[in-house]
Amino acid sequence: MLRRDFLRNLVITTGGLVVAPSILSACGTSATSTGELVIGTPTSPTKLPTNGEAIADGLAEEKGTLEILNWADYTNPEVIADFEKLFGVTVKTSIYDTEEAAVAKLRNGTLKPDLIIGMTDTALARLVAADLLQPLNKSYIPHFSNLIDGLQSPYYDVDSQYTVAHVIYANGIAYRTDRIDSSVFTSGNGYDAMWDSAHKGKLAVLDSYRDTISLAMFQAGNNDVNTIDADILSAAQENLIRLRDSTNPKVDILSYQELPAGNRDIAFTWSGDILTALGYLPEGVSPEVLGFWYPEQTITANDFLCVPKESKVPVLAHKFIDYLLDTDVALKNQTYVGYQPALSTITVDTLLSSGTIPESLKDSLVTPEKYDSGQRLVSLSPDADALWLDVWAAFTAG
Amino acid sequence: MKRSPRIWPALAAPGATWLLALFGIPFYAVACVAFGTIDPIFRDAIPQWNPLAWDFGQANEVLQSAISGPLQGVFLRTIVYVIAAMIISFAVGFPVAYFLARHAGKHKLLLLTLVIVPFWVNYLMRMLAWVNLLSPSGLFSRFMGIFGIHYNWLDGSPITVIFGLVYGYVPFLILPMYATLERLDWRLVEAARDLGATSRQAFRLVTVPMAQAGMAAAAILIALPMFGDYYTNDLLSRSPRTEMLGNQIDFYINNSQQPQRGAVLVMMLSALLLVALSWYLRSTARYAKERVK
Repeated sequence: MLRRDFLRNLVITTGGLVVAPSILSACGTSATSTGELVIGTPTSPTKLPTNGEAIADGLAEEKGTLEILNWADYTNPEVIADFEKLFGVTVKTSIYDTEEAAVAKLRNGTLKPDLIIGMTDTALARLVAADLLQPLNKSYIPHFSNLIDGLQSPYYDVDSQYTVAHVIYANGIAYRTDRIDSSVFTSGNGYDAMWDSAHKGKLAVLDSYRDTISLAMFQAGNNDVNTIDADILSAAQENLIRLRDSTNPKVDILSYQELPAGNRDIAFTWSGDILTALGYLPEGVSPEVLGFWYPEQTITANDFLCVPKESKVPVLAHKFIDYLLDTDVALKNQTYVGYQPALSTITVDTLLSSGTIPESLKDSLVTPEKYDSGQRLVSLSPDADALWLDVWAAFTAG
Repeated sequence: MKRSPRIWPALAAPGATWLLALFGIPFYAVACVAFGTIDPIFRDAIPQWNPLAWDFGQANEVLQSAISGPLQGVFLRTIVYVIAAMIISFAVGFPVAYFLARHAGKHKLLLLTLVIVPFWVNYLMRMLAWVNLLSPSGLFSRFMGIFGIHYNWLDGSPITVIFGLVYGYVPFLILPMYATLERLDWRLVEAARDLGATSRQAFRLVTVPMAQAGMAAAAILIALPMFGDYYTNDLLSRSPRTEMLGNQIDFYINNSQQPQRGAVLVMMLSALLLVALSWYLRSTARYAKERVK
């Protein structure tokens, strides 16, 4: 699965902030956006402004074609085929690589999907500001109650007006158990393993500046992953350069392939990737060779499903959302996608007993408690974002 | 009837129009992005079409970074990689072109086709194939292991990136070199040999000077895309240790919220290439002048 560049290009906030672009831009060009940006944070949840009305209750689902905009390989084809059979419709999928490009294409009308899968809260603010989404009618989504409690009314979209949570994941360290003893993570600061020159050339970090700079912060004991403090960022930069010099890391999002192939020993990655990695193990190699250290201090996140305002089959799109929230369907989807459904009905025990996830990867699973205790990356102001990007540029420039 | 002298400039019109439409206007657009602003919400580039209102803030920052900041290493590394790849490409490609032009006889075309055929396969596919071959369990790595060479080619090694560039671009050197060498007046070489020059002297003093313009063209032809290349590095390395200019442009344009910086880097790269191109133009002009003499 080509994993996404999550949480990469963020916008603005320090807490439930509303930013009027006319004040911010002051650049005098007519092409600037005209909406306003509303972004929630865990400490300041946000009820998004209502743009238009949700579809009426009790409508029959449309026939024809449901066009989905999705990440590559992010929904099990069998799950889609079952839906087609169930409703007698056709599902067509378009792929996006980055949220930014997708939002741009949605804005200019290049993409006109009926349903979007996998976007994150950082894109949500822009989708709402551009008036691209329709409020959801939950009467079509009876399985909504399957969602874990914390995500039934998430901070970025209080009351889930526009979005329904899809999968959850956490940042952590994936490794080969046949090459690295798990005790390195428990005998001291587990993050130090990423700085160990013994893994030179066989180590990777995420090609996602917010995530990887946060790694350097966590290693140094700093948990403020949304900082705008130049000194803290400067220290993180030095720390990352130290990592670079001692381990010559790969900077990509391919560890879900490279670890099972044996080309890497250790990688800082998203927890869902290690579950995806199971599908890439060469024949005859035991799943036990894959391990995952779930740090006590780390980032947790989720993505969601949403329906564009211009959806041609909005009822069908609602039905698809509900379908994905069905426990059996979500389990079937998980076996293909790897990422963990954001459902309270699918617990760690459910996943382990399903036989698709080995006991050795139990740690990679995100419980609602773990999810709640994780740090969240929230959007930054353009100036703060520029500081983060400068750190990233210094790191990646080698 | 004598033709109007206006016909000659008129013949350049299609080319000039083409250049204006597909180079001049896009390049101006890049400049407008580089010196423009971004949308405060959507973070898209907002080109500033009026040159009088251009903002050079981002350009200054990038320039400072290139002179004494993180981008300095990227520029130097890119230049070193491209020069190294060019030298190796000549070492590999020139003898092939020379053989084809002089000694391939009636099989000339067949051999030339055989050299080129593998390169009909998509560049990305060829590089991905190398990723498999070079991985520690790959065929190439295992083959080298027979000779006691155990090297992790994919650990972010500059050697792998340089060889990747050579592999990717060497056919574009062989073709113009072949075309040049094939048209040389080899009687001059024979004359040099008759006059007592050794084969090495004849090559150095006659063949190389005659092929100089073709060599410069071939060098430019492969250097231009190499300077902007980013996918070779993406596929074979992905290490900050081998980051090239193309990778930084890719990052700023596609994955950051500072597309102006990417546009500035595009302009700086263009300026760098302009220097290389002017060297080529000067050297070919000089060569033409010497031939007239």
